[in-house]
Amino acid sequence: MKKIKLNTIGEEITYEKLENGLEVFLYNKSDSTNNYVTFTTKFGSIYNEFVPLEEFKMKKVPHGVAHFLEHKVFVQKEGLQPEEFFSKSGALCNAYTTFKNTTYLFSGPNNLKENILYLLDYVQEPYFTEENVESEKGIITQEIHMCDDNPTDVLYEYIRKNSFYNNPFKDSIIGTTNDINKITKDILYECYNTFYHPGNMFLVITGNFDEEDLLEAIKKNQSEKNFHSPQKIKIKEYQEPNKVVKQKEIIKMDTPVPKLAYNIKISLKDIEIDIRRYNLYLFILFSSLFDDTSDFDREAKDENIITNSLYLNLLNCDSHALISLINETPSYESVITKIENTLKNIKITEDDLNRKKKVLISNELFSFENIEVINDMIVDNIIFDGKIEKDMIGLLKSLNIQEMNKVISNLSLKNYSIVILKK
Amino acid sequence: MNYEQINMGSYNLHIIKTTKFKTITVEVNFRRKLKKEEITIRNLLKSILLYTTKDFKTEQELIRETENLYDLKLVSSNMRIGNDSNLSFKVRFLNEKYTEKSMNEYSISFLMNVLFNPNIENEKFLDDGLKKCKSKLEKSIQKLSDNKLKYTLIKLLETTKDMPYSYNSFGYLEDLESITSESLYQYYQSVLANDFVDVFVVGDIETNEIKELFKKYFKINTFKKYKKDILIDELTPRKRIKKITEEYEANQSQLTILCTMNHLTDFERKYVLLVYNEMLGGSSNSLLLDTVREKNSYAYYINSNQKTYDNILMIYSGIENGNSENVLKLIKKTLQDVSKGKFSDEVFNNSKETIIASIKASTDSPSGIINTYYARMLVNSDDFEKRIENIKKVTKEDIMAVSKKISMHTLYLLEGKKEGETDEKN
Repeated sequence: MKKIKLNTIGEEITYEKLENGLEVFLYNKSDSTNNYVTFTTKFGSIYNEFVPLEEFKMKKVPHGVAHFLEHKVFVQKEGLQPEEFFSKSGALCNAYTTFKNTTYLFSGPNNLKENILYLLDYVQEPYFTEENVESEKGIITQEIHMCDDNPTDVLYEYIRKNSFYNNPFKDSIIGTTNDINKITKDILYECYNTFYHPGNMFLVITGNFDEEDLLEAIKKNQSEKNFHSPQKIKIKEYQEPNKVVKQKEIIKMDTPVPKLAYNIKISLKDIEIDIRRYNLYLFILFSSLFDDTSDFDREAKDENIITNSLYLNLLNCDSHALISLINETPSYESVITKIENTLKNIKITEDDLNRKKKVLISNELFSFENIEVINDMIVDNIIFDGKIEKDMIGLLKSLNIQEMNKVISNLSLKNYSIVILKK
Repeated sequence: MNYEQINMGSYNLHIIKTTKFKTITVEVNFRRKLKKEEITIRNLLKSILLYTTKDFKTEQELIRETENLYDLKLVSSNMRIGNDSNLSFKVRFLNEKYTEKSMNEYSISFLMNVLFNPNIENEKFLDDGLKKCKSKLEKSIQKLSDNKLKYTLIKLLETTKDMPYSYNSFGYLEDLESITSESLYQYYQSVLANDFVDVFVVGDIETNEIKELFKKYFKINTFKKYKKDILIDELTPRKRIKKITEEYEANQSQLTILCTMNHLTDFERKYVLLVYNEMLGGSSNSLLLDTVREKNSYAYYINSNQKTYDNILMIYSGIENGNSENVLKLIKKTLQDVSKGKFSDEVFNNSKETIIASIKASTDSPSGIINTYYARMLVNSDDFEKRIENIKKVTKEDIMAVSKKISMHTLYLLEGKKEGETDEKN
């Protein structure tokens, strides 16, 4: 058992790596009534070409497998289903799939230990049959249709599709109906055996509990199961050019107000500073250029070309960062021109930087009153680079205008892609 | 946790002292009887007060100030509670223990500044703010049809004409046009003078300090007599469900159903109904989801939602095109099964446990705590312990009895049609 001390805020996280490779993180908040537990595999939609466990050759699997697997892992061979088991003690359970991970979770104030052991058991005992794989296809097709009918979801799909050639972030997490129909029981087992190995997974527990008691129970549970020895998973590498696929596309869809996404593809290959630091600079820079405190925002509203502030989305896609400026407006052409003019002459003052630093530092403190937010934060950290940033506040405090200006002067904004969705 | 309600003459100050949070939350609620013609102007007031003040004359300055105050979170909302409309303004900020001295007082006075020191001249809001807030609201109203489920539920409820829930909570474009900077100012004055006011403060605070701060900054001084009139009249049940269909181009259809609830007892309303709804369609383990989705793959989601003070319950589902009749049959069957007691002890007990757990978990968030104490005032709801005790008391017979008081009234189907319907998508 190790303690990870988070400097400056005086909080600490308990950490242990079990013999089978499973990593466990615990954060104890003694005045919490509720508990929140997540069990995550580092397997998301972007890992669809890899060397399966105990094999030698790269294999390609259909898009949407990680999400499909999430649905199927939930199904138990016999007896109680996860929803039923958890609700016995009033706990709520769920699961979600992202680009880089699949997470199974529950929250509830009672029976924490039993619920954790059950979570481990059900995720670690898969049961796929030809039949239950087929019947899931109907449900997932419904889910795909729901996204296809939602203009915002459609916009987000095009943002990535029109920006990337080879980077697997280009494909949707859920897959298309075509992809889904190609998924078989054997493919699911192959992915499961490769990526659901404890060495590729971690458990995060936040709430109110006796740490040693829980850890002991988890260790015992894991030592009773047999796994292959941990093995490094080989993922297919790709070359992603800096160019975008399509510079501009107008999508026809029935929506009352046109939607605009202005997307900038920024290479992360030759950056000179730590990537976490670099992301913070990008975030601060683009927020102060375009959010509701910016001059852009004030002017664009005065000119009546936007009514609500732009939404800024920063997606770290490994090879590149994708920055999206999103808005709903009939005057999208004027907004594009204004964005381009702002980007021609990028300026940020030391005051702006300091104010944004204050915001980010405050939010670190805000998050430590909510066990779900803390849990998410730990998951994000581990997925990002495998470790918890111990001194986030120190890191934020050390950001400075000289370095910011250097980031700005090396920034290339010429690779952009515009998506418009309208009637 | 220590709760105290202080009668300040013209308003109630509710103070909840707890060391659980690193933040302090202050919520000011204005409440009056809902009128259809006031929905739009009330929404406009909600946004214009957050737009600028006399001290922060542009939106940019105001938002920059919230960032300077250690990212103080400032939000407003306008919600219907039964017959009433509740306009609320809330700040959440880091306790000065974690920032700097006297930030608590400054942050609270900032909220007061937003409420009582708006950017007005000659008894008018400024035209610039009015124009921008109007166009924001206009867009929200126009955008409603993007969310097919929300749109369908609005259409479903509109069929009940003149019931408070039939009104569009965003407001109406016709009303929006006629609002002027003078009429908005008059409405603002009338809210300050006539609405019932309840203020909640949650955090690690000293009661006396808070009381003094409110005496100093909170400028509400007209006395109002409190009246409890939240509950909405019942709808007359129908022998046969009325069906309305609208077509549109999409992959999925939205099926929504309005059910009436008649002659509920107080215990049924506060407790049995919660368990009933949780079992029926309130969770990922519900009878409806089990029947319609897991067993038959007809839908991606199906839920039910009880509107305790509206005397209605709604069932809604995103279904595969062409399946509405089948889904309706399954819903009917599920409702009948419940009224005949055809459900397992397990589902029943689990639903109770889930509700109890959520009551417990609500003590972990400032808004959960505020909601509990506000409900206690508005509808005499019980405290945390008593609520848990009463949920435990609910029996299977209670569920069967309450289900006989619930019946299907209207169905609204937004039916998806795709030209040359095919499953291939790219």
